Amino acid sequence: MEAITFLFDGFQTALQPHNLLFAFIGVLIGTAVGVLPGIGPMSGVALLIPVTASMTTGLDPAQAATSSIILLAGVYYGAMYGGSTTSILLNTPGESSSVVTTLDGYQMAKQGRAGSALAIAAIGSFVAGIVSLIALVLLAQPLSNLALKFGPAEYFSLMLLGLAAVSGLAGNSMTKAWMMTVFGLLLSTIGLDSVSGVARFTYDISVLYGGLEFLTVAVGLFALGEVFKAILHKEKNDGEIAKIGRIIPSKEDLKESAGPIARGSLLGFFVGVLPGAGATLASFFSYIVEKKLSQTPEKFGKGTIAGVAAPESANNAASGGAMIPLLTLGIPGSGTTAILMGALIMYNVQPGPLLFDEHPDVAWGLIASMFIGNIMLLILNMPLVKIFAKIIETPSKYLLPLIIAISIFGVYAVQVTTFDVLLLIAFGVFGYLLSSHDFPLAPLVLGLVLGPMIENNMRRALTSSNGDFMIFFEKPISLVLIIAAVLWVLVPLFMKLKGKNVVINEDM
Amino acid sequence: MSKTFDRFAAVAFLAIGVLFMLESLRISKSAYGSAVGPNVFPFLLGLVLALLSIKLLLETLRYDVANTSRRELQYKKFFVILISSILYAMLLEHVGYIITTFLFLIIGFQTIQRGDIWKSIIISACFSFGVYVVYVKLLQGTLPSWPVWFS
Repeated sequence: MEAITFLFDGFQTALQPHNLLFAFIGVLIGTAVGVLPGIGPMSGVALLIPVTASMTTGLDPAQAATSSIILLAGVYYGAMYGGSTTSILLNTPGESSSVVTTLDGYQMAKQGRAGSALAIAAIGSFVAGIVSLIALVLLAQPLSNLALKFGPAEYFSLMLLGLAAVSGLAGNSMTKAWMMTVFGLLLSTIGLDSVSGVARFTYDISVLYGGLEFLTVAVGLFALGEVFKAILHKEKNDGEIAKIGRIIPSKEDLKESAGPIARGSLLGFFVGVLPGAGATLASFFSYIVEKKLSQTPEKFGKGTIAGVAAPESANNAASGGAMIPLLTLGIPGSGTTAILMGALIMYNVQPGPLLFDEHPDVAWGLIASMFIGNIMLLILNMPLVKIFAKIIETPSKYLLPLIIAISIFGVYAVQVTTFDVLLLIAFGVFGYLLSSHDFPLAPLVLGLVLGPMIENNMRRALTSSNGDFMIFFEKPISLVLIIAAVLWVLVPLFMKLKGKNVVINEDM
Repeated sequence: MSKTFDRFAAVAFLAIGVLFMLESLRISKSAYGSAVGPNVFPFLLGLVLALLSIKLLLETLRYDVANTSRRELQYKKFFVILISSILYAMLLEHVGYIITTFLFLIIGFQTIQRGDIWKSIIISACFSFGVYVVYVKLLQGTLPSWPVWFS
C-alpha cells in the first residue's frame, strides 16, 4: 500500500521535536478556544495565522508551512473537543457544534455525572478523530488522482459547487449569503491581475497593488468582529459551574455509548466531507438519528449518555472529514477550512490534487500530526479537564483587549504596514455589523480565497473555447458539477416553499 | 433581523456592485494570453451583486414589523475601545510597539471594567514587553521599538 509508506514518512515529519511542540500548542490553544464561549474555531484559527507566521520565521518555507498548518489544524480539531466542556458544565455551548450536547450533557451534570459525560465526550471525539483520519488516508490518493484529470472547466464548475454549497446552507437568508459570496469574490479582484498584469481597482494606491491581504480580512472579520460583539453585548456568565466528580466512565456508560460513537463517527465524517454542511449540522443529525434508533427515546433530553456521545463524536468526525475536500480537491467546504486554505496559500503551498505530489511532507505530515494531536487531546481532556474548566472563569476584561492586541501585533508583524492594521479594524467593525444582522461571514472569506482560482480557471477554460461559455456545459464532469450546484441551491429553496423547516448552519 | 439595516446594506451593496461594473469598464480590455480580458470577471460579479441587492431590497418590503426586543448595547465602551485601537494603529510606527501596546491595553482593561489598576498595569507591561522581547530578540522579527525621537 502506497498510502502507508507515505503515512510513515508523514510520521517522521510529524514526530520531529518542533512539530510535536507545534501540534501540542495547537491542540492546547484549540481546547481553550473550544472552552471559551464567544471565540469560535474560525476566529481562533484566523487569530493564530499571523502568530504562527512570526513563530516560524526561522524555518525554511516548506518546513514553516508544515509546522504552521500542523498548529492551525490542531486548533481546529482541538476546539471540537473543548466545545463540549462548557456545554456539559455550564449549559452554555463553547461552540455552535456543541449546542446539542447541552441537552443531555447538562442534565447529566445536574445528576452528578458530569465526569462521565466529559470522559465519554473525549473518548467519542478521539474515536471519531481516528476514524475520520483513517478514511482520509484511504481516500486522499484516489481522490486527488481523480482531481488531477480535471481541466480548467471542471475546476471552475467544482469551485462553483463549493460556493453554492456553502452559500446555500449558511445563515437564514440565502440572498444575504450569496451577496457575501459575490462580495468576497469582488474583493479578490482588487490588485494586479495575475493573467494580464493589469492593475484593477487600485487607483494608484501602492498598498492596493498586492490586493487585499486575506489574513487581514479574516482576522478582522472573525477575531475583531467577535471581540466587538462581546464588548457591545456584554454577556454575563452567571451560571454555576457543575462539579465534575469521577472522570473514569463506568462500564455501563461505555457499553451504552459504543454504538452512538460508532454511528456518530461515520455519519459525522460523511456530513463533514460534503461542502457546506459542517460540524454543527453533523452533531444535530447524529443526535436525531440516535433518538430515532433508541429503544428508550424518552430518555433523551433527560441525561442519557448516548445524547452526549453521538453529537460529540459527530462534530469531531466532521472536522476530520472537512479536511478531505480541502486537501485533495483544494475546495474548502466551510469557513474554518477556507481560513486554513488561505494560510496554506500564504506559504505558497496550494492545496489540491497536486499537494500530494508537490508537497508530500506538508500533506502527510499534517495527516500524521492529526493522529498524534488526537492522542494528545485525549490525554488533555481526560485527566486535565478540571484545569480546562477553570479557563471558563477567565475574565473577559482581560481577554477582549488582549485579543485586539494580538490581532494588531499579528497583522503588523506579517504585513508591516499601518494600512493593514487600519484595514483590520475596519473589517472588524464591518464583520460585527454584518454578522449581527444575519449576513454570514464564512461565504465572504470563501469567496475571497477562491476568487483568484475561479477567475483563472474560468479564463483558461474560455481561452481554450475561444470565449464560448458553453464549454462549461459541454464537458460531462463539468455539467454534472454545475447541475449539482444548481440543485444544491434549488432544493432547500423548494423545501422552504413547501413549508419545511430547513436545517441551516449558523457558523461553520 | 433589522429592516432598516438590511435596506441600508442593500443600497450600499447595490452601489458597490454598480461601482465595480462602471470601474471595470475602464480597465484595459487587452486580453493578452487569454480570450477573456481582466475586466470580464469583475463586471459580471458587480452585476450579480447589484441584482442580489435589488432582490434583498424587495425582500425587505415583505418583512414583518420589526420585533422591538432591543438590547441595551454598550456603545460608550465600544467607541472608546474602537477609537483607542485606531489611535494605537496610527501611532504604532511613530511611538513604537512597547509604549502604544502598554497604553492601549490599560485603556482597554479599564474601559471594560474599572478597578484593579495594578493588575492591569502588570498584565499590560508583561504583554507588551514579553511580545517585544520574544518576537524581536528571540525570533529576530521587526517591530518599531521606541519612539523615533528617542534615538
